Amino acid sequence: MTAGSQLIDAYLGDVAAALPGPARARTDIVAELRSGLLDAVEAYHSAGLPPAPAAEAAIREFGDASRIAAGFHPELAAHQARRLASALVATGPLIGLLWATAALASHIGIRPALPWQWAGAPPASMVAFPVAAAALLITVWTALFTLAATGRPARWLPIGPRMAATTAAMAGFGAMVADAAVFVLLASQLFSAPSRLAPAPIAVAAAASLTRLTLARRGARRCLSARATLA
Amino acid sequence: MSAETLKGHLDGMLLASLEDGPRHGYAIMEMLRVGSSGQFNLPTGTVYPALRRLERAGLVRGTWSEVGGRRRRVYELTPGGHRVLETERGAWQTFSAAVTALLSPAAKPVSP
Repeated sequence: MTAGSQLIDAYLGDVAAALPGPARARTDIVAELRSGLLDAVEAYHSAGLPPAPAAEAAIREFGDASRIAAGFHPELAAHQARRLASALVATGPLIGLLWATAALASHIGIRPALPWQWAGAPPASMVAFPVAAAALLITVWTALFTLAATGRPARWLPIGPRMAATTAAMAGFGAMVADAAVFVLLASQLFSAPSRLAPAPIAVAAAASLTRLTLARRGARRCLSARATLA
Repeated sequence: MSAETLKGHLDGMLLASLEDGPRHGYAIMEMLRVGSSGQFNLPTGTVYPALRRLERAGLVRGTWSEVGGRRRRVYELTPGGHRVLETERGAWQTFSAAVTALLSPAAKPVSP
């Protein structure tokens, strides 16, 4: 069966090379195709073909590797979009909580008023807070929309994976803008009243935001490239 | 019959192929081929991604398990899948009954 399995390995290698998206999803797809191919080989073998021609026939039956891979592009794009959106929804409240803790520890008087009216609010508040709020609003809505469009409610929504990849990328960019706005606030506070800042909670929140910014950027780019495969 | 012609009915047929019990991808393709007397020879590149899509929509559940000495991804209908299958079946029966009535030569309405 060596010649046959070499043919199958080479074929699946071609399929894998043409699959974009998360590594685990790709491995899973290739494993499923391998098991299907082996079923086809067995069927041809029991119909009387020797191992190598049976493998060739099975590969012919499955068709061109790039076409097989293209069939999975929409699913992989949906997968990528869903992954980014769920990561943003899961981490968002945590990062918000970390910054609220950091602000309270830095003696910023959070109260039910506009942020720039808080006691000790950073000078950039009047610009950075509205930007962050708008970005977060976009992120929350586009992320929830993406989750709906790539999950069970998709049955009732006329939204395909291409649109889901777009909204997930928007959510990612929104999170990046929100994080960047928070860093502007932090920088303005560092220049105006550095002594107020509580170093440890600020460092934790900043590390969390920086990590999310980096991952959101990577996720958004991946969504856009997955989207490009669906043109 | 071309894959394009079948596209609108693919989901219903895939769900129907799982009605008797769980099956893996190749067995589903075999079932569609044999069940349609060779009329529907759906390409692999259509069936496997469609199964993933149905899984994402919560209509089927795919799990890896050992079948016949080999690891296979086996699909089964979820309760939601059963419901959608019933809806698709009812819609198809209404539609096909209407088309049959209109296409059958004996049933042409007499024009005044």
